[in-house]
Amino acid sequence: MKLPDRYGKYGVFGGRFAPETLIPALEELERGYKSISKDKSFREELSYLLSEYAGRPTPLYLAENFSKVIGCKVYLKREDLAFTGAHKINNTLGQVLLAKKMGKKRIIAETGAGQHGVATATASALFGMECCVYMGEVDCERQKLNVYRMKLLGSDVISVKSGSRTLKDAINEAMRDWIANFAYTHYVIGSVVGPHPYPQIVRDFQSVIGVETKRQILKKEKRLPDYLIACVGGGSNSIGLFYPFYKNKGVRFIGVEAGGKGINTSKNAATLCRGDKGALHGSFSYILQDRYGQINQTHSVSAGLDYPGVGPEHAFYKETGRAEYTYATDNDALDGFHILSETEGIIPALESAHAIGWVIKNRKQFKKDDIVVVCLSGRGDKDVAEVASIEGVL
Amino acid sequence: MNKIDEKFKKLKGKGEKALIAYFTAGLPSTKGTVEIIRKAEKSGVDIVEIGIPFSDPIADGPIIQYASHISLEKGTNTDTVFEICRELGKSINIPYLLMTYYNPVYRYGIEKFSKRCAQTGVSGIIIPDLPFEESKDVREALKKQNVYLINLLTPFTPEKRAKKIIKASSGFIYFITSAGVTGPREKFSKEMWDKLKIVQEISSIPVASGFGISDAEQVKRLREYVDGVIIGSFFVKKIIDGKIEELWKEIREIKKALVGEN
Ligand SMILES: Cc1ncc(COP(=O)(O)O)c(C=O)c1O
Repeated sequence: MKLPDRYGKYGVFGGRFAPETLIPALEELERGYKSISKDKSFREELSYLLSEYAGRPTPLYLAENFSKVIGCKVYLKREDLAFTGAHKINNTLGQVLLAKKMGKKRIIAETGAGQHGVATATASALFGMECCVYMGEVDCERQKLNVYRMKLLGSDVISVKSGSRTLKDAINEAMRDWIANFAYTHYVIGSVVGPHPYPQIVRDFQSVIGVETKRQILKKEKRLPDYLIACVGGGSNSIGLFYPFYKNKGVRFIGVEAGGKGINTSKNAATLCRGDKGALHGSFSYILQDRYGQINQTHSVSAGLDYPGVGPEHAFYKETGRAEYTYATDNDALDGFHILSETEGIIPALESAHAIGWVIKNRKQFKKDDIVVVCLSGRGDKDVAEVASIEGVL
Repeated sequence: MNKIDEKFKKLKGKGEKALIAYFTAGLPSTKGTVEIIRKAEKSGVDIVEIGIPFSDPIADGPIIQYASHISLEKGTNTDTVFEICRELGKSINIPYLLMTYYNPVYRYGIEKFSKRCAQTGVSGIIIPDLPFEESKDVREALKKQNVYLINLLTPFTPEKRAKKIIKASSGFIYFITSAGVTGPREKFSKEMWDKLKIVQEISSIPVASGFGISDAEQVKRLREYVDGVIIGSFFVKKIIDGKIEELWKEIREIKKALVGEN
């Protein structure tokens, strides 16, 4: 079976729940992507940039000290070492290059914490494209330095004052801009969400994570891992790691969502654990919503996971049992943040710290001979001030 | 016969074009919405669209976003909107439609939503984020209840696609006059005029234009090429600003422009 099918569906999920105005733009993107992504010169240019500019392949590091804490071998896929400090650059280099080949003049993006915004601003600077990033007013306040970073890179940052003034509203506003300006503008979505073909495009560009991991683990261990574990916000670093192993049924996928203050409170962002089916931002998937279908406000200590939706391919993996979805609370993530820093000297992004924290909390379920790969999706420098303030240090 | 068909037929007989007005439900209050719509009918509105507010209205500009936000804060939900519809059924004669996004409809239950529409006298629904390809379930459920799903076309819809959509449409075609979200605008583009003429030519049902219309001058320019105009943000703004008297005056003036010079 091909994922997605020709209608952009992953089982019943995905599709194209977008205004009529965007349909021709999405069709143009689908056609452009289909032909350009097959093109040899495109692939060569992207692969050159991923290695020479973004520093790929990223290491698959055997975290020996951390492994002792867990009781089995734990490898970290070091996306924190990719340029700009997270996996986001894999997608933005691909999409901005695609936009350029499609003749678009202007780039727009949404951002929550600012990681995707910075990665888009970076790629836009590299390709000499005008760039405008939408960011919720609340997030602009929480992540002032990232706002400045984007401006340094030559991008405009628009503070979004509608709705909850966070990531979901930034996406709404970016979509409104795209609806008005698609003729010369490409919208770089930051995760495997949105109307078809976005979930596919982002997955394909992020699959470099899993493709490298497979090659690296086979070289080091002569066998495939038992577990792949990654945090899930919209779901791009996790799908990027999982997808190349889709057919390797012996490899278990575990997606860790943001449990916030607990999944029995209203303060979480655990969409697959606690949400229901519905359509948001262009695709049919799981969402956190009330009984009338209004979208809930979410909470997570990490801005990158603070989102009420999730990519449709994850909904499909959940429905078919291919992957398991679970959660780590704010506190679990903070434990992960500290323990990895102390044992390995690696400060993880708070998003990635959810995957680490879950592994620590559930270490008893692993057998001594298990091989576990955790996606360390980003580095934690951006979160140091936030954690210090939560802990009353600053 | 669906009331929308009746209405267009009657207007055609008189040589008039339809004034279709959008109001966000629950603004200024549930009761207030009913009163505004009653008065809107008396001032010359031919068809009303009642917006069920949605938390994430991606096809709407700042005015309707704000209106939706306020209305949700006041506690408006799908059931209170159906209550409004039931009240209207007792007190107005013009057809009324619902406008909302796909998720509230899906979540309510597509079958149940369609039945409630029929029970409360709703003649049609507009769902701006439900393109033709995804609309089969909704279309079929509504059809059983004789409620119309109104399809949207834009200046950028290719002709072949427009033909396919028109063929499956009922009530009227909602022709979006500009790229972008709802909200007043100054000018119409050349693409819009070209495509509007094509759509009007191939459509066997009435064509009404909306998005960005805000004054009688624009309406006069459109009049000859459409069967109706749809005005939302411009009216909603008057309600938000508490300028209700101006609302009636604008409605009368715009309706006058749609009746024509004679
Ligand atoms: C470091 C890092 N990891 C993970 C995420 C979550 O996104 P996704 O689930 O798409 O990987 C983000 C989002 O901002 C991030 O910055």
